[in-house]
Amino acid sequence: MLRKDLIPKSPVIQILGKENLEQGRFGVVVSRAGVGKTQFLVQVAMCWLLDGKKTIHISLDDPIDKINVRYKEGYTNLIDSVGYIDPVKANRLWEDIDTCKLGISYNESNFSCDNIREYLTTLKKENLELPAMMVIDGIDFDQDNTVILEEAAKLADDFAISTWFSMKSHREEALTPEGFPPQLDKTKDHFDKALFLSPQEDKIEVVVLKDGDSENKIFLLDPATMMQS
Amino acid sequence: MLKDLKRVRNIGISAHIDSGKTTLTERILFYTDRIHQIHEVRGKDGAGAVMDSMELEKERGITIASAATHCEWKGNDVNIIDTPGHVDFTVEVERSLRVLDGVVLILCSVSGVQSQSITVDQQMKRYEVPCIAFVNKCDRSGANPYRVANQLREKLGHNSVLMQIPIGLEDRLEGVVDLITMQAYYFEGDNGETVVVKEIPAELMEEAEEKREIMIDAASMYSDDLTDAILEEKEITEELIVDAVRTGTISRQMTPVFMGSAYKNTAVQPLLDAVLKFLPAPIDIENEAIDLDNNEETVTLTSDFEAPTVALGFKLEDGQYGQLTYIRVYQGTLKKGDTIINSRDGRKVKVGRLIRMHSSEMEDIDEIPAGHIGAMFGVDCASGDTFVSPSVNYSMISMHIMEPVISLSLAPVDNKSQINMSKALNRFTKEDPTFRTYVDKETGETIIQGMGELHLEVYVERMKREYKADVNTGQPRVAYRETITKKAEFNYTHKKQTGGSGQFGRVSGFMEPCEEEFEFTNKVTGGRIPTQFISSCEKGFLSCMDKGPKMEFPVTGVKVTLMDGAFHAVDSSEMAFQAAARGGFLEAYLKAKPVIHEPIMKVVIETPNEFQGSCMGLINQRRGIIQGSQEEGVMSVIESQVPLSEMFGFSTILRSATQGKAQFTMEFAAYKQVPQSVAEDIVKAKEEEKKKN
Repeated sequence: MLRKDLIPKSPVIQILGKENLEQGRFGVVVSRAGVGKTQFLVQVAMCWLLDGKKTIHISLDDPIDKINVRYKEGYTNLIDSVGYIDPVKANRLWEDIDTCKLGISYNESNFSCDNIREYLTTLKKENLELPAMMVIDGIDFDQDNTVILEEAAKLADDFAISTWFSMKSHREEALTPEGFPPQLDKTKDHFDKALFLSPQEDKIEVVVLKDGDSENKIFLLDPATMMQS
Repeated sequence: MLKDLKRVRNIGISAHIDSGKTTLTERILFYTDRIHQIHEVRGKDGAGAVMDSMELEKERGITIASAATHCEWKGNDVNIIDTPGHVDFTVEVERSLRVLDGVVLILCSVSGVQSQSITVDQQMKRYEVPCIAFVNKCDRSGANPYRVANQLREKLGHNSVLMQIPIGLEDRLEGVVDLITMQAYYFEGDNGETVVVKEIPAELMEEAEEKREIMIDAASMYSDDLTDAILEEKEITEELIVDAVRTGTISRQMTPVFMGSAYKNTAVQPLLDAVLKFLPAPIDIENEAIDLDNNEETVTLTSDFEAPTVALGFKLEDGQYGQLTYIRVYQGTLKKGDTIINSRDGRKVKVGRLIRMHSSEMEDIDEIPAGHIGAMFGVDCASGDTFVSPSVNYSMISMHIMEPVISLSLAPVDNKSQINMSKALNRFTKEDPTFRTYVDKETGETIIQGMGELHLEVYVERMKREYKADVNTGQPRVAYRETITKKAEFNYTHKKQTGGSGQFGRVSGFMEPCEEEFEFTNKVTGGRIPTQFISSCEKGFLSCMDKGPKMEFPVTGVKVTLMDGAFHAVDSSEMAFQAAARGGFLEAYLKAKPVIHEPIMKVVIETPNEFQGSCMGLINQRRGIIQGSQEEGVMSVIESQVPLSEMFGFSTILRSATQGKAQFTMEFAAYKQVPQSVAEDIVKAKEEEKKKN
């Protein structure tokens, strides 16, 4: 029951819609440093977790403990947005969700799609449930990452995984006429969905840059919780 | 003992198992002239290191109990507590941290920050103990102190700052460059006892200057004088840097990093200098106690030697001359012949023999002033007791103690063993608050409880060796618990009115799940149950929590709300309402859908990448959940949660699955519900066991 109450509260579902979200293969959340890309990506992953599906969160920056804390925070924010919820039930659901997420922390030097492929193959070999969604957080898109994106696309196809990336833009760089940061402009063909987060006074504005039907729609989030305000 | 507290240091040495704590302590004792020969842990001479005074520790090469020792370095008193590295013994680490002013955190230059370092770090945070880091084993192949300093920053969130750089690494390690004095230190002589100071090798100069700049930049955050000196381009003196780093370290905002190899006798003396320079003296730390006569308000203790005495007994040991209580004096002076009070039970204690320990050797002293650590003989007390002068009634804030998660039954083989076993158990429970014992009322067996398989194994071994108590042990058992999952109502009347004095009491209300162990709320109005019987009702409900009505495990997480009831002017009594409450509990409990909870352990496996798959398989076969993995070059660290019941004998299985190349640590994480199929097996096993008895 609780899952059903929480899903519509998700800012990601409110912005993209549940069916639309699940259909995409590659998504990206773009913003400059410190705006809340990771926090937003946690909410993206939460949509799958609330459906009882496995997710995998790959971070090039955060250690496992920090990844776990981010998910717990994301979950608490979602719970708080509903109003009063029986804490025992909320705790039980968290325990379920906690078992469905898997975090992998790479140093930048160790990260490669081959490593992820090996990891997923091991999961398959050991008869462990494969993730339905994957977050890759921390890739430096200032460099040319075409190879990584192509390999990640193969991974997504081979293992049927929706993959979401974070992409850092820079304050001083001008946007293209379509409103794309230069890092995204170079790689936009790879992504089905692209969201741009930008701070506006006391809110975070989410602009849907790429997504089939809801392009150029604007949503406002509370920067403390990343919930729709 | 030195009365100038600026020249006293009470330090601990903490680290992951096998990082070289005991070896380092041994070297420190050698250089401070406390011992005259160096023995290795598990060394070929069979003597073992001095700090591992228990026979079992010498055999296993691990340090189980913390041995306190005293030494002098350059006219300063240094008290060292050597702490165990295995997670099963963390209560020892916690106790040591409670009485220490600073810690040397040892990290292995090859393995870096390991899971145990994270546990120790959390404990240091809890007790706000400042630390300096020593990257040991720089002589090992694959040593990289820079990587370890980075891990300290990334994994533990320390503001780690290099204070030295190595001269050579691995088998070419020659010495270290001190970035404050900008001199190179080499260690000559058979045991590295001669420190030779030379100029920095030319090829290291550039790196040394670069790292010094980073260090000074970091230190300047904690000193305006140093910042001014930098901005005004004045001379940056050694004193300015030391003061700044010291301020940063004591406020826990900075962790200076030193390096060397204790085993190869390299750079231990500069570490001792660093202990004096950067770790706090007792007067730098504010200690607090609770005033039991004044609403438990916190009182700040002073290091005044003349003030009323406040001391904490932090460790007990059975010596040749009776019980030895290790004690830290926080205020006043503890003198031979003084009468002090144990604030836990109000008992008067006469201070007899006072000593200062050097591992297993002792030196008689007349007094222990504030800020010092010593030991007293012949005082009957428990670990963690506070001793005070009769004029005050303070208690040091209680220590954080974890609940045991595993139990084992013991059966002595003969009468003599039975007596010795009782003596041993009595001693161990006083020494270690996480070790508990009781007699099972139904089976008559003696049960011991603790924090892990190894924890209990060690006590059973000690029983056999030190107390000559020959005991047979049963299978380790997991401490299951029961709890309810939904709200259920009760309305129960206890009625016995057939001759003699009757019994009558009716209780009605509901029970529901809650976060606390047990909660009781009284909402009875209009005197339907007289006030004097309400506490009997609570007692009755509470008495059912020891053993669940269905599966007979302790019950937790139940909130009982009493809404209504009835009484009889003559036949109602406390006993009648207790019986009514028990009946009400039984009535509602089964309707409230009880489930079994089991202890889940956080299991961290460190393995070479090629065995990652096998390790994940092992966790999966044990109902474990993989939470994540950290990739670090050729090694992977897999973090998981696994039920304790599935972890028996895991070390052997892991060894054979990984050719002995992987290691794991385990600690209690949480209680979680047992899956239905497993719960059925547990209930079945419990029933069969009952039939047998």
